[in-house]
Amino acid sequence: MNYTDILSPKFEPETTGTTIMAVIYDGGLIIGADSRTSSGQFVADRCADKIDYVHDRIFCLRSGSAADTQTIAKYVRYYVDAHAQELGRLPAVATAANLFRNFLYEYKDSLSAAIIVAGWDPYKGAQIFTLPLGGSVIEQKWSIGGSGSTFIWGFCDSNYKENMSLQEARAFVLHAVGHAMYRDGSSGGIIRLLNVTKDKIEREFIDYKDVPIK
Amino acid sequence: MIFNSELSGQQQHTTSPVVTGGSVIALVYKGGVVIGTDTLCSYGSMAAFKNVEKIAQVSKNTLYVSSGEFSDFQQVVKELAKIDRSALQYDDGVHPSPRDYGNFLARLSYKKRCKINPLYLQNVIAGFHNGERYLALVDIYGTYLESNFVTTGFASYFCKAIISNYWNENCTLDQAKQVIRECFKVLFCRDCRAHDMIQLGYVDEQGVHIEQAERVETKWDFNGFKTRANEKLHTQ
Repeated sequence: MNYTDILSPKFEPETTGTTIMAVIYDGGLIIGADSRTSSGQFVADRCADKIDYVHDRIFCLRSGSAADTQTIAKYVRYYVDAHAQELGRLPAVATAANLFRNFLYEYKDSLSAAIIVAGWDPYKGAQIFTLPLGGSVIEQKWSIGGSGSTFIWGFCDSNYKENMSLQEARAFVLHAVGHAMYRDGSSGGIIRLLNVTKDKIEREFIDYKDVPIK
Repeated sequence: MIFNSELSGQQQHTTSPVVTGGSVIALVYKGGVVIGTDTLCSYGSMAAFKNVEKIAQVSKNTLYVSSGEFSDFQQVVKELAKIDRSALQYDDGVHPSPRDYGNFLARLSYKKRCKINPLYLQNVIAGFHNGERYLALVDIYGTYLESNFVTTGFASYFCKAIISNYWNENCTLDQAKQVIRECFKVLFCRDCRAHDMIQLGYVDEQGVHIEQAERVETKWDFNGFKTRANEKLHTQ
């Protein structure tokens, strides 16, 4: 039963039951996400873009409550923008991660938000920071999140390699997210990929019929 | 029908289902009744079992499908199959009609409802008997409703409008099947617990026909979907 009346005792808030993933490869990083936003059993948005813009080379992947993560991302985007204006150069990915962390840590009892911050900066290159529910910050070479990630830990542990090429990393993300969408009811739709490098960001839309596992 | 758990005096309350089947849509058409369901059984939010045949042939001219707890569905299939066999004992050549199965299921569901130990199911019985089409819905409490079209689960929210607009009770089999396929396309897009592989089965005066599972085609490559990107929102 899908209850969307906010006063109902069984109200299920809109969440991003989801599959999100980021992987560093030799030359940059690849971000992948599914496109389903669910409100209980109802698919509220079947073509969502879960890859949120923070700065020109910094993105965040959101899972948990859509309301919580959208609001936090909005604040962090503003702070990073102001900071970058004053700095006069590209901000560090770690800065964005720390700003997210401050929200998730201080309000840990009120929020349901887990975020992956991924990006490139001129100081340390491509970086991925995972921020789970409590507000800790963990730097990783690859990260998966959302409800769909539970289904692909084995796949990812077995198939991840250091210093992959762009093609290998893209295939890795595509198959991992595809496998998660195959089994997770809260993930689905199309796959959005984003390639972040020093020179450019490249978006890719993977139609449902091209998802590797159906 | 007595369940073993009731015999041994154990109290059992089905408070929440574990493995669940999805929506069912059934429509009457000119020559019979057609039922459609998807081939997925979910384990909570996980799409655990993807190739499940959920259309049960109960007798020569009756089909039974349900949504809800899958183990309860399997148990009911066993019990309904027993009815025809035990009717043989009377040796009078009388076979239960589709309505008999519907009625039995309604009484059974009501009995279990009264013991606060329900069969966690929305049941659909379809049949063709003596030139007449039969379609009924029996819900978790034992409410019995005969109707020309039946939907369970999420289909009740999304598909009634489609059915009202594109179906009538005297349409052809192909028209009715096409309406069901359209309904499952919408469900696949908007129901987290739906799958795009569906199975259709129909009963007419020749008897029961259950078809192979088929995939419904959904469209995802809209321009708006493709070009929607968060950096466009924030850098313009």
